[in-house]
Amino acid sequence: MRFFGKTNIDFMGKRKTWYTISLVGIIIGMLSIPIKGGLDYGLDFTGGTEIIVQFQTAPDIGDVRTMMDKAGFPKSELKTFGDPNKILIRTQAFGEGTVVGDKIRTALTQTFPTLNPHVIEEQKIGAKVGAELRKDAFLAIIFSLIAMLIYVGFRFKFIYGVGAVTALFHDVLMTLGVISIVDGLTPYTNFEIDQNMIAAFLTLVGLSVNDTVVIFDRMRENQKIHRSMGLMELMNKSLNETLSRTIITSGTIFIVTVVLFLFGGEVNRGFAFAMTFGIITGTYSSIYIASAVVLDYTNYKQRRKLKPAAAEKPSYETLH
Amino acid sequence: MKKNRGKLILIGITVLLSFYFLYPTYKDYKFTKELRSLVGDDSLKYLEQNETDIRDARMKRIKLGLDLQGGMRVVLEVNVLKLLEDVAKNKDSLFESIMNEVKAEAFSTDQDLMTLVKTKFKTKEVRISRYYGSIRDSDDDIINKLSDESINAIDRAMEIVRNRVDQYGVSEPSIQKSGGNRIIVELPGVSKEAEVRQLLQGTALLEFKLLIDPEIALKVYQSIDKTLAGNPIVDSTAADTSKQAAVKKDVAKADTSLSAIDTALAELPEDQMKAREQAEKEHPFFALANSFSDEKGWNGELYTAEESRAKVMRILNKPDIKRLIPSEMAFVWSGKHKFISEGKKFYTLYAVKKTAELTGGVIVNARATIDPTYNQPIVTMEMNNEGSRDWARITGANVNKRIAIIMDNGCFSAPVVRSKITGGNSQIEGMENIEEAKLLEIVLKAGALPAPVDIIQQTSVGPSLGEDSIRQGVYSSMLAFGLTIFFMIIYYRTGGTMADLALLLNLLFVLAVLAGFKGTLTLPGIAGIILTMAVAVDANVLIFERIREESVTGKTLSAAIDVGYSKAFTAIFDSNLTTFITGVILYQFGAGPIQGFALTLMIGIVASMFSAIVITRVIFDIMTERGKVIHFG
Repeated sequence: MRFFGKTNIDFMGKRKTWYTISLVGIIIGMLSIPIKGGLDYGLDFTGGTEIIVQFQTAPDIGDVRTMMDKAGFPKSELKTFGDPNKILIRTQAFGEGTVVGDKIRTALTQTFPTLNPHVIEEQKIGAKVGAELRKDAFLAIIFSLIAMLIYVGFRFKFIYGVGAVTALFHDVLMTLGVISIVDGLTPYTNFEIDQNMIAAFLTLVGLSVNDTVVIFDRMRENQKIHRSMGLMELMNKSLNETLSRTIITSGTIFIVTVVLFLFGGEVNRGFAFAMTFGIITGTYSSIYIASAVVLDYTNYKQRRKLKPAAAEKPSYETLH
Repeated sequence: MKKNRGKLILIGITVLLSFYFLYPTYKDYKFTKELRSLVGDDSLKYLEQNETDIRDARMKRIKLGLDLQGGMRVVLEVNVLKLLEDVAKNKDSLFESIMNEVKAEAFSTDQDLMTLVKTKFKTKEVRISRYYGSIRDSDDDIINKLSDESINAIDRAMEIVRNRVDQYGVSEPSIQKSGGNRIIVELPGVSKEAEVRQLLQGTALLEFKLLIDPEIALKVYQSIDKTLAGNPIVDSTAADTSKQAAVKKDVAKADTSLSAIDTALAELPEDQMKAREQAEKEHPFFALANSFSDEKGWNGELYTAEESRAKVMRILNKPDIKRLIPSEMAFVWSGKHKFISEGKKFYTLYAVKKTAELTGGVIVNARATIDPTYNQPIVTMEMNNEGSRDWARITGANVNKRIAIIMDNGCFSAPVVRSKITGGNSQIEGMENIEEAKLLEIVLKAGALPAPVDIIQQTSVGPSLGEDSIRQGVYSSMLAFGLTIFFMIIYYRTGGTMADLALLLNLLFVLAVLAGFKGTLTLPGIAGIILTMAVAVDANVLIFERIREESVTGKTLSAAIDVGYSKAFTAIFDSNLTTFITGVILYQFGAGPIQGFALTLMIGIVASMFSAIVITRVIFDIMTERGKVIHFG
């Protein structure tokens, strides 16, 4: 079976259009963050309140969830605690004293009068821990980008590293923007930026650079064979040659993440969504950002090289 | 076939090793299933019959994270109030009354403890400098200093707890500071509550105390025994000795008879009962606290069953018995049971000097190792200058005597001093196994907690978000995996089928490495595995696409495979290495759940390189050698 025969698409010719589209996409996404009142951080990044409730018999988790939604604490995390009769409720709300706990207590007694619920433990998680974890996550992303820059720059040329990392920034910002826009739009897309989401971001960074490296590798190979070929033509050739692989691989991962998103349950949903979108933008950015940046930079350098040669006055009077 | 022999052997060994590492996991699963199907006595019997096997399998199986299997969660609170009380000087009744009020209010308000203390002193019009700092300091200065001290105490306590938990060997423990003075400890898969409690909390003070000379101790014990025999006592609360109502008489009445012990032993066979009865009558103390002497004589230790310990302590604290005990003599129990006999755990009772020779603060380092010359577990201990001086004096004066290492009134070792130890480096020998040595190392290192900690919550955690979520996660992973396998077969036909085989082996390797290195599988870890499966598929796609390209140019099948593999290699290597770097960084910076993800990702990438480059290659080579036609779609 074969989806793609030999293609001959002029990818690089239309790069300016795609630059604009990417830029607009990122700007819209970034603007949506302040409009929506900031990013929606998860409990591990914000701190919050945790309550363990003992029921007479095991309640339906779904009912507890609905109750929490109604009580004004949506997105609460629920776990059984030790045995099915005990439920752990975690909410991001973090009030003075026992304000949050009292609200939940009232809601519990009203919703489950027959199950005789009572709070056996109440706890608040400080925001300080959250701030620390947030810092670590930020550092992890920054360091991985730097590592990619060094590795790709070392294995190819420095500008290739810059191209790859620019593409990664693009992917991270795009995905962050889309998550911000989609968050809370439907009951199924309540996405929080928590540790799992950071893991998803780093994974998509890994996969995107993976994709970029495969294309760069083909360029490197073709450069050796077709020495006289112009860079743009060479890039188009390499992109066309690897297109089949790019689509198959990305398609397979896409299927995996979509399945996870649809059937993976609430815990995995945010992760799977970021991955699904990240695969699309990662594949796209390998072509239109990473390669295009390398092309434009090389063109720019060549033009600068040509300019002094074209100028009639030699510049030997300058002092370096 | 010949040129691939090395590779085939390598693959064979890897697969066999994988099965070897995964076998305990399978066995553990079997045991758990069996135990679940049995009820009551049957399950107990089954457990007893297979105890060592079950424990062994459990030790070596793949460990599941707190989110998949639950575990222990302990919340510790640093008792700042107690710390304040400890560091105060010139304590009087006024101070105590103020502190009591603070204590009472601290429960009901959310206010900072230090502010509370400050306002309390102010309303009582008492200067804080009366109890803390120097006379000229203002209240604010002292409060600032004290709150610094309490923050430092919390940080130190946290570091010590973290250190101890690490040494305890829990995989993926999570230790977080929460609020001002709480420490949350999460220990996946840990269920030994008492051990954890002791580890986290029972560590207030480490002391070295000299053991009382066995001969002197024996005399004391004998006189206790004699007194008891002459004036036998019966414990007023000794429900464990007898169920008879008669026992519940008050001590004065019961003291005159042995009826309770008699009735307790009534169920024993006649002659045995008589012997025992006789022994109990003559030696009521040694009946509870047994002594065993060997050819070297009595070592000064008494052994008491777990449930009788309280009774022994009650006897030793009785006024008429106390009179027989020299004032500098004290008693400590061993921190762990010494042996098990007739289903009972026996603890050692040591007689020690009341005053400590040295406290644990002088210990700089301790390490449990195996002595290479004798192949015995040993613990080395290093002290600071000051401690070394004292230690040399103490050991020099007590050669051939025993020094008890006591943590929180539990004796963890009582080694004999062989010679004077100068320079502060000591070596403790005679542990039965490395685990015992490790525990001693932990005890020595722990020293004294800088601030008292209370366990304010201790619970076993249920699997995250209930079993339904996990099932959803696992099923969707299986579905995704199945779809990938199906697609590969459809799209690359023979090549795809072989790639799928390699993919399954890949999964086997990842799980085996996890089991072999005692890694922990978490929910994000499963996501990591799925991801490496995608990476493994990508490696095969790269190769197959290359082979397709090459066969279009008119090469023979085996030539196309050759070129395909060699040309795809750099791309696979570079792209996998970049993903691997991401994994390393994730592991470095991530907390608990993310580390699980990074770990499986790194293992998976190495495994997928192996399965995609070596395994499928060998299969294709053998197939082409045998003249089989391989379709790559």
